[in-house]
Amino acid sequence: MDTFDNLANGIVAVVTPMNLLLLLAGVMLGMVVGVMPGLGPSAGLAILLPLTFSLDPTGAIVMLAAVYYGAMYGGTITSVLINTPGESATVASTFDGYPLAKQGRAGPALVMAAVGSFVAGTIGAVLISIASPATAKLAATFGPPELFLVVVLGLLTLIVIIGGNRLLGTLSALMGFAIATVGIDIGTGQQRYTFGSVELINGIDFIPVAIGLFGVGEILHTLWRGGHLEKLAYFNVSARSRDFWPTRQDYRESVGPITRGSFLGFFVGATPGAGATVASLMSYNLEKSVSKTPEKFGKGAMAGLTGPEAANNAASSGAMVPLLTLGIPGSAATAVLIGGFMMWGLQPGPLLMTQNPEFAWGLIASMFLGNIMLLLVNVFCIPAFASIARVPFRVLGPAIIVICVLGTFTVNGSIIEVAIMLACGVLGFFMRRFGLSPAALVIALVLGPMAEESMRQTMIISGGSFGIFLDRGTSRVLLLLMVLLLVLPLVMVLIKRAAARSVQRYGAMRRRSARGADAADRSDDLTTDGADAGAGDADVDRDRDNEPERVDSQ
Amino acid sequence: MNHKRISAVSAAALLLTVSACGGDSGGSGGAYPSEDMDWTIAFGPGGGNDIMARTMVDILQRNDLYPENIRVENRDGGSGATGWGYLLNQSGEGYGISTTSGSFITTPLQADTGWQPTDFTPVGLLAADNALLIADGGADFQTYEEWVDYATEKGTVVVGGIGTVNVDYIIQQMVADAEGYEIDYVPYNEEGQMQTSLLSGAIDTMISNPGSIMGQVEAGQVTPLLFTGPERLEALPDVPTGEENGITDIPSMPRGLILPPDAPQEAQDWWVETMQEVVETPEWQAYLDENFLLEDERWGEDFTAYLDDTQSAFEEQLTELGAL
Repeated sequence: MDTFDNLANGIVAVVTPMNLLLLLAGVMLGMVVGVMPGLGPSAGLAILLPLTFSLDPTGAIVMLAAVYYGAMYGGTITSVLINTPGESATVASTFDGYPLAKQGRAGPALVMAAVGSFVAGTIGAVLISIASPATAKLAATFGPPELFLVVVLGLLTLIVIIGGNRLLGTLSALMGFAIATVGIDIGTGQQRYTFGSVELINGIDFIPVAIGLFGVGEILHTLWRGGHLEKLAYFNVSARSRDFWPTRQDYRESVGPITRGSFLGFFVGATPGAGATVASLMSYNLEKSVSKTPEKFGKGAMAGLTGPEAANNAASSGAMVPLLTLGIPGSAATAVLIGGFMMWGLQPGPLLMTQNPEFAWGLIASMFLGNIMLLLVNVFCIPAFASIARVPFRVLGPAIIVICVLGTFTVNGSIIEVAIMLACGVLGFFMRRFGLSPAALVIALVLGPMAEESMRQTMIISGGSFGIFLDRGTSRVLLLLMVLLLVLPLVMVLIKRAAARSVQRYGAMRRRSARGADAADRSDDLTTDGADAGAGDADVDRDRDNEPERVDSQ
Repeated sequence: MNHKRISAVSAAALLLTVSACGGDSGGSGGAYPSEDMDWTIAFGPGGGNDIMARTMVDILQRNDLYPENIRVENRDGGSGATGWGYLLNQSGEGYGISTTSGSFITTPLQADTGWQPTDFTPVGLLAADNALLIADGGADFQTYEEWVDYATEKGTVVVGGIGTVNVDYIIQQMVADAEGYEIDYVPYNEEGQMQTSLLSGAIDTMISNPGSIMGQVEAGQVTPLLFTGPERLEALPDVPTGEENGITDIPSMPRGLILPPDAPQEAQDWWVETMQEVVETPEWQAYLDENFLLEDERWGEDFTAYLDDTQSAFEEQLTELGAL
């Protein structure tokens, strides 16, 4: 087990008092940065990268890995507590995380998210050690056609988000696609809808839109509904009480999603360009498809939070594979890291691992240790963070708006983006008011440009023929996956119905054969249980109507 | 006693520092530079522009060339429009400064930025960033001749580069025109996606800067076919240049330094003189070597003239290609 020796050596090399201190500082700094709406891992790395130039490469990478994870988790905190994703990878965490917080379960949600991230990070570190060469080969087969299909896999989540509310959901997504067209058109270099403004050349960023729609929009909506007058009795949960910590059922419900999310996230994260956002959305989609209680999704299903959380964390491990084995940055955050490598005098490329093994394995080891540190820090910090939920709204609301403005401004120092954010806040309010889906808009905004770009590249390469998707091996596999993901929910419904029927038949058989009243009772129970499960599944479509935003809007 | 000595020494040191500071500010009263420098990097951390700027600042500080503080800030956005727009707003002042790159020429061609490269006060061009034509290490063609044979036989090949209104597109088209084959040009936004695209066999060749691709070249993962600089790279002695193959005047990325428009003459003079010292330092030479940049120094008005020429050449070529 050469690779495990390497990993062990890496861990030993990293565990010095100085490095542990850097690790702790990095996690804390990362969390502080990540908790600012709009500032996610890539922004956190970019801001803190210059700080690391005075350190030796190993110390620097230890600190940056810690910042990376800290910021990632910081984004989860805001997603869950104030419904504001720090970056696109944590959008999926708002779907069920925020409803959980609204039910007064912010504590369990944050702890479970931390546990999910920890498990995923650990699985990711092990997978890097054993599956790197194979994964690198896979990543090297990804051209524009494959990237397009992966993005479409992410877009399939729209179906889940939109659910039965087809017209308004589609409208929301189209609004997202429309906003996404602003900026320079990659194909021709022409500007679209920039109205001569220099600020709009690079398009409208996801960050101000998401902060406005989710953060400010939510505040306005709560105000409108009179939330500032309500007594938040159900938030009144102290860290010492048992309700603060996850129940055994939370853990049981999360085992499957975390495991699936970890593997899914790792492999999707390894594909350049798609990364954590698509991974977390695909995980949400998958969990809802395989769930026995899909109707709970969007209303505070633990599986809907832990799956995507595990996936986005594993994706950040996966993104290290092309970076370390091919020298190719697979995400915005790893692109910043590559810049760091060059400044520390390291040559990024396929030879990095053989030429600087202590550095490469140190990186992997520090990712692993960063996860442990994050879990430890969080066990102490979550009570403090979660107590935000106990602050009365009339105090919290204005504070959140200030933080949203500050966070948006910090990213690029642009007042225009602050204006966009505030405008989206108003838009977000009306979208909630009239039953549109801000989540669908944001997903379309993030994935739309990626889909357009890769589609146009594909069409230039193939000369306009769609046959290219069938000619390339990896494309075919992805197409197959897509079909599977689409068919799976239907098949699951059928299987469950069949199961319910057989249970019923079994019950009837038992009734006929059984003489004792006792036995008849038991089989009756079975029958009703089975029937209930079946009915629940059949109701999926109708239940999807009830998005959390609208449940309490009237 | 020991205690006394320490306090005596520290008192002396304090006195020395105070007098040194006093002497400093007294000596430079009114003369340039007497204030902190506001150094704008028009792109995010980790990019080529960022690395160059931070290398320069590091050299300036290590050698105590700039007497006051230098504040470095990444002001990215709008393909450089934001950062250089910030510098534009400091017109007439001598304490703002920024490094340039290819976008310094192409962004104003593409958008109404409110400034042209020639508006700024030039310090100088310091280096030229040239490009490599790159093929997959497993492709059928592994030399420039083989590539030309392959491409001309095929008639139309699929090639990639970063962006559309960019030097990458010009290079691909110039090579194709010179050798007589057609291209379908695939624009990418990111180097990473372009590289995997090449490895996956989706495109035949791509344009890359030596600094960002050398790792893969050394590993044999990709093969450089052609270098666009005037002479062969020391690290790649077998890779022919464009000129050797009769393709002249291939544009390169200007890596230079600018002050705000209408900066005071003394500021410009000070920076030209100081940068002439900087480019002589071993640290700067090491930076050039590590990033495979060619020394190409043009000071003051020569730099402006160079920017003007390059921009008109870009405009002409891109208009011809229909990208503008």
